[in-house]
Parts: sequence; C-alpha cells; structure tokens
Amino acid sequence: MTSDNDRRRGLLARLRGRPVARSRGRRRLGAAVRLAAALMLAGGAYTVFAPGVQAQDNPPLSAAANEGKALFDVSCVTCHGRNAQGVEGRGPSLIGVGSASVEFQVSSGRMPMARQEAQAMRKPPHFTDEQVRQLGQYIQELGGGPQVPNGNLREGANLSTGGELFRINCSQCHAFGAGGGALSSGKYAPSLQPASDRQIYAAMLSGPQNMPVFGDNQITPEQKADIIAYIQETLKHNQDQGGFNLGRYGPSTEGLAIFLVGIVALVFASLWIAGKS
Amino acid sequence: MSTHTEHQAPQGREPLDVNDPRVSRFDIVQEGARRDDIEIVHYEPQVVPGSRAERRMTRTVASFFLLTGLAATAFLIIYIWWPWEWKAGRGGDKLYTPLLGLTLGVALLGIGFGILTWGKKLLPKEVSIQDRHDQPGSPEERKITGQTMLYMADEMGVRRRPLLGISLLAGLAPVGAVAAAPLIGGLIKNPHDNNQMFTTGFAPADGGKTKIRLIREDGRPIRPADVSVGGQLTVFPGVDGGVSNKYADSPTLLIHLREDDAQKSRAANATKGHGDYMWGNFVAFSKICTHAGCPASLYEQQTNRLLCPCHQSQFLITDNAKPIFGPANRPLPQLPIEVDEEGFFVAKSDYTETIGPDFWERP
Amino acid sequence: MKRRKFDAAALPAKTAGAVDDRFQVSTPLRKLLNKVFPDHWSFLLGEIALFSFIVLLLTGVFLTFFFEPAMTEVTYDGSYAPLRGTPMSAAYASSLDISFDVRGGLIMRQMHHWAALLFMAAIVVHMLRVFFTGAFRKPRETNWIIGSLLFWVGFLAGFTGYSLPDDGLSGTGLRIASGIILSIPVIGSWVSSSIFGGEFPGTIIISRFFIAHVLLIPGLLVALISVHLGLVFKQKHTQWPGPGRTNENVVGERMFPRYALKQGGFFMVVFGVIALFGGLFQINPIWYFGPYEAWVVSAASQPDWYVMFLDGSTRLMPAWEISIPIGDGYVIPPLFWPTVVLPGILVGLSTMYPFLEARRLKDYKHHNLLQRPRDVPARTAVGAMAVAFYIVLTLSGANDVIADKFHISLNAMTWAGRIGLLVLPPLAYYFTYRICLGLQQHDREVLAHGVETGIIKRLPDGRFVEVHQPLTAVDGHDGHGPALDYVGWVVPKKMNRLGALGPAIRGFFYPIEKPAEAPVSPGHPPVEPRAEREEIGSGESRR
Repeated sequence: MTSDNDRRRGLLARLRGRPVARSRGRRRLGAAVRLAAALMLAGGAYTVFAPGVQAQDNPPLSAAANEGKALFDVSCVTCHGRNAQGVEGRGPSLIGVGSASVEFQVSSGRMPMARQEAQAMRKPPHFTDEQVRQLGQYIQELGGGPQVPNGNLREGANLSTGGELFRINCSQCHAFGAGGGALSSGKYAPSLQPASDRQIYAAMLSGPQNMPVFGDNQITPEQKADIIAYIQETLKHNQDQGGFNLGRYGPSTEGLAIFLVGIVALVFASLWIAGKS
Repeated sequence: MSTHTEHQAPQGREPLDVNDPRVSRFDIVQEGARRDDIEIVHYEPQVVPGSRAERRMTRTVASFFLLTGLAATAFLIIYIWWPWEWKAGRGGDKLYTPLLGLTLGVALLGIGFGILTWGKKLLPKEVSIQDRHDQPGSPEERKITGQTMLYMADEMGVRRRPLLGISLLAGLAPVGAVAAAPLIGGLIKNPHDNNQMFTTGFAPADGGKTKIRLIREDGRPIRPADVSVGGQLTVFPGVDGGVSNKYADSPTLLIHLREDDAQKSRAANATKGHGDYMWGNFVAFSKICTHAGCPASLYEQQTNRLLCPCHQSQFLITDNAKPIFGPANRPLPQLPIEVDEEGFFVAKSDYTETIGPDFWERP
Repeated sequence: MKRRKFDAAALPAKTAGAVDDRFQVSTPLRKLLNKVFPDHWSFLLGEIALFSFIVLLLTGVFLTFFFEPAMTEVTYDGSYAPLRGTPMSAAYASSLDISFDVRGGLIMRQMHHWAALLFMAAIVVHMLRVFFTGAFRKPRETNWIIGSLLFWVGFLAGFTGYSLPDDGLSGTGLRIASGIILSIPVIGSWVSSSIFGGEFPGTIIISRFFIAHVLLIPGLLVALISVHLGLVFKQKHTQWPGPGRTNENVVGERMFPRYALKQGGFFMVVFGVIALFGGLFQINPIWYFGPYEAWVVSAASQPDWYVMFLDGSTRLMPAWEISIPIGDGYVIPPLFWPTVVLPGILVGLSTMYPFLEARRLKDYKHHNLLQRPRDVPARTAVGAMAVAFYIVLTLSGANDVIADKFHISLNAMTWAGRIGLLVLPPLAYYFTYRICLGLQQHDREVLAHGVETGIIKRLPDGRFVEVHQPLTAVDGHDGHGPALDYVGWVVPKKMNRLGALGPAIRGFFYPIEKPAEAPVSPGHPPVEPRAEREEIGSGESRR
C-alpha cells in the first residue's frame, strides 16, 4: 500500500512539473486539484491504516478481506480452490494477481463464469461494488499484486497523447473505434464501450486472459490516464461527429448499409416511379 | 414547307397539312411523331382539368416544393448559426452534420418527389411505339462503303509504293517509344538501390561497429524492466527518423515471455540456429507480416499466438513465429537482441531474413 | 416613320427561328424530344449509378478546394483536440481540416464517400439486371464490355480516393496494395518501387494517387459513361416482351415531358438519399484512425465493400508458395493468386461472357426483347453461381467482424469460407436451375389449365377437385379453352391478377365512392393503333 502512495505522489509531482502542451490541464490544475489529490492521499492513507487497526485482532486478514473471503468461499472456491490456490483444469491460482485483476474480472461480470468457454464474457456483475472491493482486498492480502489507485483516473489527461498510445498499444485488438475485434480460435478482444475508467485501468495493469500486460513501467500511470481519457471522452458511441456510427465496424457495415438501406430505398423509389400509378 | 411534302406518310395515311387552321396542336405533335416513326397509340389524361382530383394533386406537388423551401431554409439557418466546432464528449456539435444531412436530404427529396408526382400523376399517360431500324445496312450499301474505303487505300498507293509504308512504320515506332520514354524513364526506380529491400534501420551503423538501440515511439531507449512479463512493446531502431514511415520495415515487437514459454522459445530458436537471438526471456520479432505487410501485432499472451488483423495469419511466437494458420507461409523474421553496458536493449545485428511481403527475387 | 414595336410574345419563335437558321436543329431536336423509352423499374438501376456519379463530381470538386495532396510532415493544430500536436502528413491534416475546420466539410466528405459506395453498388445491381435478363446479347455486347470496365475503373477510382486521406486504415490498405504489386513474379519489386517512388511508402504516392483520382480516372469514367449512354441511345433500350412489343419496336413513352420529368425527379431522389446518408450515417471516421504509421493497425481492418471480395479471397487462400530453385532461388508468393490472377480471370470471364454464350447457343441474331431469368435456366444458374462465389468472398472479407459479433471462431470462419467457396457455387447452380425449370413448368400449367381459384368442388362420384379459372373463353366439354402459348411474359397466377379479387373499396385513406369519370381528352380524338401490328412474339424468327 505504501508503494501505491508513492506512485500517487509521483504522479502529482509529475503533473505539477509537466511543462508541455497541457494548457487545458495546467490551467485547471490549481488549488482544487491539489486539494483533491490531498484528499485522495488522505483516503489512501485511511485504507492503509484502517484495516491495520483491525489486523491486530486477526493478524492474517483485515475485516474487508474477511468479508471477501466469505464471498470467495461461496462463489469462487469451486474453480479457484481453497485460499485461491487454483484448481487444475478449472481455474488458475489467484496468488499474486492483485486486486486489479479481481476488480476487472468481477466488476465486469466476467467472474464468476457461468461455464468454461474460450473466453469469459462481459455480463451484468454478480457482486456489488462493495463486495468487489472486499474480494479484491482478500486476494490482495493473500498474495499481493497490482492495484488500481483510487480517485479520478483521468485527472489532467492529454487526449492527444492518449490517442497516440491507444493506436499503438490498443487499437490492433480493440479496433480504432474501441468496438473490439476477433482473436484466434474463438477468442476476442471485447468492446471498450461499456468499460469504466477503473476497469480499463485494471485491465492494463493485470492483462486479463489473452491481453498483454501493460505494467506501470511500460505505460506510466499518467499515460494510462491519457488512454482512459481518450477512450471515455472521444470514443464512446454517442460522441461521433458524423452521425450514427453503424456500430463502428468499419467498411463492412458501411457496405451493408448502402445495400440494405440505400439500394433498397432506391429500388422502392424506382418501383413507384415506373409503376402503373 | 416544301421539304415536308417529300416525306412519305406511313401506311398510306394522308400527310397532315400543318398549316390548316383546323388542325389542333396535338395533331401536329402526332404528325411529328409519325415522321420519326413513332405512333402514339394511347394517350389519356389522368385528371380532368378543373376536377377535384386535379386540385388535390396540384396541392400535393406544391406542398412538396414548399417543403423543399422550408428544409433548405432550415439548412441555411443551421449552417450559419449552429455551434459546430468540435468539443470533447457529447455536445451540440455532434448534431451539426446530421442536421445538415437531414435538412438537405429532405429538401432534395421534396424536389424529387414533387417533380415525380407532377410527372406521374398530372401528365397524360401515353403509350408510343417507335420502330427500331436496327437492321444492318443492305449488302449494296455495305459494298459501296467498302469499295470507297478500298479506293482510298488505292489512292494512297501503299501497295505500289511499299517503301512509304515501311519507312513510315520505321519512323513512327521510335516516335511511339519517345512518347513512352519520359513516362517510363521518369517513373522507374531500382528497387535494389542501397539493398533497401533487405536491410532495416537495425543494421549496425559505422560499418558494423555501433549496434542500434531499440527505442520506444517517444524515442526513449528500453530497459528490460520496462516490459512486464506477458507484455509486449512496439520498438523502433534508434536512428534518426527511426520512428517514422521512412523505416516502414523496421517496427518490431518486443515480447517479455513467461518463464516456461521462454524455455520453449529458446529450444525452438536453437533448432533453427538462432540460439543467441533471445535475451533473457525477451524475444523480438518483426511487426511487419510476411504475407501482405500489415502490422501483425495482436499478441495473445496466454496462447503466444500473434494474429495479423488484415488476413488472419497466425504465428506461434514460441516456435520461431512459425505461421500456423492463414495465408502467410513464412515465419516472422526474428531480431537478435542483447542489452548493452548501459542496460538498454540493442540489436546484435540486422534481421537475418527479409522483412515484409514476399517477392520474386527474395533469396 | 413608324416606331418598330417590340413584340415579346413573338420572341421565342423568333429566337428559335434564328437558331434553326444557323444550326438546322428543328428536325434532330424533334427526334430527340420524341424518342421513345420503355418503362420498367429495373431499367432505372443503371440511372442510380449515373446520378451517384454526378453527385461524386459535385462533392469531389468541393473537396479539391481544401485537400492538399502532399506527404510533407506537418504538426496538426486544428480544432480536433485528440490529434493536436501529432505529426502527420499534409494530406491527412487537410482531410481533418475538411472534417473539422471547414464548415459543412464533413457532410461533403461523407456524401462523397457514400456516393462512391452507392455508385459501385448500383453498378453491380445494374449489371446483375442486365445479365439475368439477357440484355447483353447481340447487338449490345460492346456496352456490356464497357459496363464491366466501368466496374473496374470505378474500383480504381474508389481505391485511390480511399487512400488519399493518408489515415491509418487507408495506409494499411496501401501497404497491402504494395504487397500485392510485390507479389507479381519477375517484375513485382520494380513495379512497386516505380509506383511508390522507392521503398514503401515513400513520399510521392499521395500526389500520384491524387492526380489519378481527380483527373485520369474521372476522365476515363466520363468517357466510358458517355459511350455507354450514347450506345444505349443509338441502339435503343431493350424492352420486356408483352402486348404489342416486338423485336423491331420500342413501346413506351416519348422522352419529353413525362419520362424526362421522372428522370429528373429520380436524380433528386438519389441526391437526397445520398445527402441523408452523408448526414445521418458516419462513414470512414478518419480522425479515429490517426495518421498512417507503418506500425499502427486496427482490428477489423477492411477495405470498402467493392474491394472486400479480393480481401476475402486473400484471407481464404492457403499458404502455398511456389519456390523456383534456380540460381539464388525465386518465389511466387501465395498473395499473387487471389489478388492478381483471380481478378484477371474475373475480368476475362465477365467481359467475354456474351460471346461465350452466343457461341454455345450458336445464337447470332439481334435481340431487343429481354428474357425472364426462368426461361434461360443455364444462364440464370451460371449467374447464381457467380453471385454465390462473390458473396462468399465478400463475406470472408469481413469474416473477422462476423466472427467477433456472432461469437464464431475466426479459424472456423476461414474454413467455412474455404469450403463454402468450393461447395456453394455448384449448389447454387443446381438449385437455381431446378427452380427455373419448376417455374417454367408452372407457367405452362397455368396457361393450359387456368388459375387456381382455391375453390374445392366435390364431384358426384365423391372426388374433390379444385376449380381452375381458364385464361381464355371456354370451348368444348372439358372446361378448358385452347391451350395458350407462352410468350416470355408474366403469366397471371392469382385470381386478383385477373381482376377477380380487386379491393372491394378503392382509396387509400378514405373510399372513393363513385367510379372516376372516364377522362375525355380535350382537343383531340382518341387515337387508333396502327392497323397491322405483329402479334406478341419473341421475334427471333426475323433473321
């Protein structure tokens, strides 16, 4: 948890010191932001210390983690085994995956899985946000691992940098319009349309399923913020400049539209024009 | 009117005297059509002049035209006053183009359907029959034309004076070549200048002494710690313009494999004689597909397959990026890498195989 | 001295007289005004292509005012914030400016792109109409060939235009195109290097594509379209068989005014539909694609639909490379067959088809009457086979999108395409052939026995029979009229086609109470048909 605080502080320092092309971010990065950051730090500190108080009563697990363990033992233990050690052929060990992974998988409804298939699908989540946090806390305390920081995940982000990083790292699988795409043998990269800031962040950190891992050493937290801002503020389905986007599947739906709508409408028109009134 | 009297009225009908004051205008129209071999066999007004039906149709057409006027005015108003500059997120600017399209489309459709209704519902219906006259010319006609052309050839006398024909050809052929020469000569480029098809930006500089660093898209060199386990990074040659389309063949995918995958990969490398191409658990393969040149970059970190999004060729990273599905038939070339004294990745040498799509003279 | 009075009423006549004095236009003009066109909805499909082309020219000219066909690197500083500060080519930056900084530029760009898709779609649909009705037969083979060429020239126009913005998606397409050129044996690398001015992508290709896209190709298109229309005019349009229609005449409307009004109206409708598309449906959002960079790609990278069949054939092609072990060794890459050889074969087959069919049937007569597809089962089946082939390829061009959205394995989609490409066309041939024969047979049955009425009658001996309504007056004891000959036109098969089951009340919103009064033509008597006219027939016995 302390490493998390360090990273937050680092981000803040970078935000202050960043000189380039951030006029929008810079202008607004006034006292309000610093205050927010300070509050964030305080919140982070609270989460660090508050469980610590409890931990003295029950050394291995915090209260939240205990709640999480209870949930785990009901819903997850079948596949991931006792103490998240994994079950051969059913589910992997969760030691070391971190709360980021749990948060992504559970809050997007991918876990618990309904059945074994090529890839877990996004579903309405089975647990509430609170329960997700408890589960994450449990896994985190079991084996550590990457965590999604708290607070606004796209503070002071630069859309332009985000776009460039998105195109070089994300678009090959998730497509330019973030609509998702196919991978080999039934696997796929999901659409990013329903994804929340935290889910995107968690996915980059943890590399769920076949997604490569984009750790903080590779894409820094502030770059992650840029990417998230780019996805959320320009790629969402109601943000198209040129009208209905036809699902953003590229030329294939455009071709379909010109036949199903254009040609069909004009054939009806010509039927009427040449008809015997 | 003397020219018209020569015209043969078809089917022995009396030719119409168009100057006769008793002749109606329609009779003249019919006579004109007849002279063009057209018979108007059916002519029927659709509406009685002054009838309710006519008034209703007229109103319909008029309302189409007025709709056009309205929509076009709306178009202008929106065009001028709607806030149209791009803003992030969802805003009124996102409606600018749809509104323009809607008003313009309605305006144009209004004119279209107005005119169509006018023509279809208000104008008389008719059935006319026109003769095609598409019979070929009579044999006599053909013969006359043919002989005329042959006579022209005789007049030219090429057959009697063959030197003219031969010398003309001899003169024209080079002129034709002259026409083509600047085009071909200007466009043609040797594809093998500087051995460009077989080298990339990773070729060591200074006659092989300086090894080229691998850099990120923002120009920073890469330490091994910069790529997470199960992660991938697009890297470029650390030369001037390395991150640009000038080195379109150089983009490379640096992958940090998991331990067991790395072992498989090392074993596979060894069988190919590439035993020292990996550094630690890192491999680097060309990002340019050997099929058609797209960036093959859909890396699946669990199956270690690399998918090309253009034609779905799949390469198995742990087996020398051998193609295992799809139209590609050649493995992705592997870049031999190591880490220099300062702890940054460098290319040991240039790629040892040709990058990108196959071509005829690829050895 | 009397002042000459200006007579406004006589002005048109005087002007017309003056024009005719000089240019002798009255007779040719009347011939033009009177030219008869047959009317059928399917004859308007080609018009859609023509009208889209006009819209393409109009919007295209607008775009050239703002587009900068250069690959010089600039840093974008326009109003689209997510790309501000990004280095890109001038071509891409100016395309972004058209989309974001030229007021109304985006709708023009989108209309241009949609019009291009509609142009190609209408060409294909028109071509199918011409093929399945046999309109390509002598004397119209030339126009068929020109039409086929128009598809390919339109294909080039589309591809060059698609590449101009120099965005990430089109650059990927360009990269594939360079790969395709490279795959040509012996000369591939030389051709590619000459076109791109060196190694891909070079710095000149956009300027070259620009001049091809705005001058050379449109010039060629205008020339081919003019000849195409000129030949339709000269040879006169084909017509469906029917009462009074023979191989030697055209039955329809004179061109002016009603036919011309309909054409003008239809142009506005096509224009309006394109405008609606251009505003309401986003196409080719280049700002998401980013500038072309050789290392950037998107999932679901597809070409526009009319190129997709080549992309599909490329995806389905197995990885078969031919190595020629001479000297250093030479290769023919697998890319060569589906992208160079296949289109070559398709061009050859499609342009030569009229001659192949004429040769097979030994039919060298003039044909001005169309055929119903069912009456020529072999041709219809061949056409269905070609359509099946094309559809499998086109769908395979989008197989990753289909795999993704319908949760099918991508690898399964590829295999389905490979198998489907071999299996479906023959199946399409067989089933189409059988369906044609079945329809023919049913036509003959109705002509011989009449229309099914749906009335079941019980005979005295207890049998049930359906009552048929004969199409002719009944003569004789069996309740049948004389058998009618099939004349190549629609046979009424339902009672309401015979007028037996018309709507009880006329009118759409409210009933029309009294029958419309018989219209009386003012000023002219009802016209009589010409006395001797040939009976309905295919007219094939003429020569």
